[in-house]
Amino acid sequence: MTRALDSLLEHPALWRGRQGAPVSGDAVWPAGTPELEKALGGGWPRGQLVELLGAPFGSGETRLLVPMLAACARARLWIALIGPPATPWLPGWQQLGIPPERVLLVQAEQDPERLWSAEQCLRDPAFGALLVWIHGPAETARLRRLRLAAGESRACAVLYRPPQAAEQPSPAHQRLQWQPHGRDLRLHFLKGNGAQHRRGRPLDISVAHPPPAEDAP
Amino acid sequence: MIPDAHPSQPAPARDRGPSGPALQLLPGLPELPRDSAPAPSPNAAPGAPECWLAIQLPHLALDLQARHHADADRLAQHPLLIVERGERPRVHAANRAARRAGARPGMPLGDALALLDTPELIEDDPVARAREIHQLAAALLQFSDHVHPEPGAQRILLEVGRSRRLFGGLPALRERAEAVLRELGFQPRTGMARSPAAARLLAAHRHPEIPEDRDALRRSLARFPLGTLPLPATTREALQATGLRVFGELLRLPRAELARRHGPDLLQTIDRLLGDACETLPRFVPPATLELTLRLDHEIRASTALVFPLRRLLQQAEQQLRGRALSLQGMQLDLQHREDTTRLNLERGQPGIRAADWLSLWQTRLERETLQAPVIGLRLHSAELLEPPATDDGLLTGDPAGDHDDAGHGAGHPRHLPAVLARLRARLGAQQVGRLVNRGTPAPEDAQEPVFAAMRPGPDTATHPPSPAQQACGTALWVHAPEPVPAPRSGDTQPLGRLENGWWDRENDRRRDYALTRDVRGRWIWLFRCLRNGGWFRQGYWG
Repeated sequence: MTRALDSLLEHPALWRGRQGAPVSGDAVWPAGTPELEKALGGGWPRGQLVELLGAPFGSGETRLLVPMLAACARARLWIALIGPPATPWLPGWQQLGIPPERVLLVQAEQDPERLWSAEQCLRDPAFGALLVWIHGPAETARLRRLRLAAGESRACAVLYRPPQAAEQPSPAHQRLQWQPHGRDLRLHFLKGNGAQHRRGRPLDISVAHPPPAEDAP
Repeated sequence: MIPDAHPSQPAPARDRGPSGPALQLLPGLPELPRDSAPAPSPNAAPGAPECWLAIQLPHLALDLQARHHADADRLAQHPLLIVERGERPRVHAANRAARRAGARPGMPLGDALALLDTPELIEDDPVARAREIHQLAAALLQFSDHVHPEPGAQRILLEVGRSRRLFGGLPALRERAEAVLRELGFQPRTGMARSPAAARLLAAHRHPEIPEDRDALRRSLARFPLGTLPLPATTREALQATGLRVFGELLRLPRAELARRHGPDLLQTIDRLLGDACETLPRFVPPATLELTLRLDHEIRASTALVFPLRRLLQQAEQQLRGRALSLQGMQLDLQHREDTTRLNLERGQPGIRAADWLSLWQTRLERETLQAPVIGLRLHSAELLEPPATDDGLLTGDPAGDHDDAGHGAGHPRHLPAVLARLRARLGAQQVGRLVNRGTPAPEDAQEPVFAAMRPGPDTATHPPSPAQQACGTALWVHAPEPVPAPRSGDTQPLGRLENGWWDRENDRRRDYALTRDVRGRWIWLFRCLRNGGWFRQGYWG
């Protein structure tokens, strides 16, 4: 009976709601703050597709990932930026522990090409993290391919999408919605480990780590 | 399959074990009464018995046709003639269907046309044949460093005596050489003997024996009719008139008499066949670049149809580069149209020669290409051939953590670019995929330079660490050219640092106070106040 159940559960077409729980410390990248790591189930998950939904660009949603990117660079893995809306200021990244020679910039105009590039990068073991920006609605089939590719990789694939995409269902392992909230970035966990763990409660993360002159006018 | 070491290296000494028969090492004793001992051949290295492999390509013209066509079967069924142009056109080669009907190479074209039912006629291209022989000679350099192409006879000679142990014996070496040629789409005939002349003879008659010493060679050649020997017609007729039929009978005659009656050239031919007289053959030196061309007989209109001929070219490139122990990281493909040429470039992250890898990249690249005009020819070339990748970064740059197995095979080092890069560049275009290099200039908007063209390790991709001036600007994540913005309220900004640059230049000084603020939409803005005019500019986003 148990064996029959186990073999059924191993079927690749079957997706369980609680799937995506982290396995071990090696399977995640650090997320920076304990609250966020707890909500994510240990950290940014490797081998998963994570959607970050929100606007406007520049509210701190990239800075949110800096601990992951720095860890990724320390592990001698590559980081792919696919279709970023602005040019990365890599001297700044370097001071945060992300060497520029580890960052690959892919400028693809169209969403399908960006998703294709992301899939190709995920199939290369050299990458530890992917940041992909897409504007429009994405085909579910393409996202599913991406999810599969992420599942077979050891990289964390982060897909930035506009906030309207939250209304669409998505095959991503985890979905987070972010929005600026005061001086913080407020995260709503829509799907995945955090959705169960936080039960709808948002999490405020202080992402703008300014230099020591924190409160000086 | 192919050994790593260059075959020209001397055979390892450990093979001098009990398996190596002593007979091999001893030169055959001359039987004929001789005036002097045979001079040591300048071709042979000391200690290794010389052995020549002759590779004859009797169907070269047909093979060249077949490799242009994906449907080689159709070509085999229908009679096809390769025609030599001239005052009286002659058949240069005929395929099996045509030969079955009675057409023979050398036959006047008129006679052949009378025999065959609407054969396909293709004009012979001696230049292309000669070029092909040289290309193949380069590919065969993987078996020996002494290769001698004979384009006129459609033949290539290789001295393989010193390579035999490396390849596990002469029969194995011969099989491998044949396999390489067959893979490239050619039908070779091979012969091996201790002298080049005998190897040529054995190849022409598909003689399977490998006579390595003089006695064995003498026995093998003794049965050959005089008509097959490389003799002038007058000498041959004179010999046949005396009742001689085979080479063995000729050998029994006294040398002095033969020389007196038929001239000293006959003796020299005999000595060369038996390996007593040396025959010095110049070594083939391959060109320093890779260049392979293919003329298509049919116009190709769809870019996907280019894959088949391209595969052949890439396979040939692989064999050639293997032979020359070189590698390459980028190549150029010219698609020749009737009027002009489309030039495509492909560059990979790491050097490599495997045809299958390159083909899949070219496939991706060609999918992006719409042909402006039908393609009538392909030219594959690379001016920059690399030494094989040095494996020096295994010890020092290995992953110290050791637990990232995926970082171990080359991807771990930042100089090693991920393999996927080439595929991305093939599809999206070379200008779309790259890295940013810090030029070290202080102003953030022009401090970074995209590196797209040269995606290979080297000093050009070395990036500066952030300069102190850059560090003063803070650790923003995104940058753009400065845009004027209204001044923020004074309490809302967090100062970051001051960039001072160009103060020596009265007009163009850039003195800026960088700061961080949050706009009404919630974005963290990276901005500066220009100290010269007091205006505020947005430089990018903090995160």
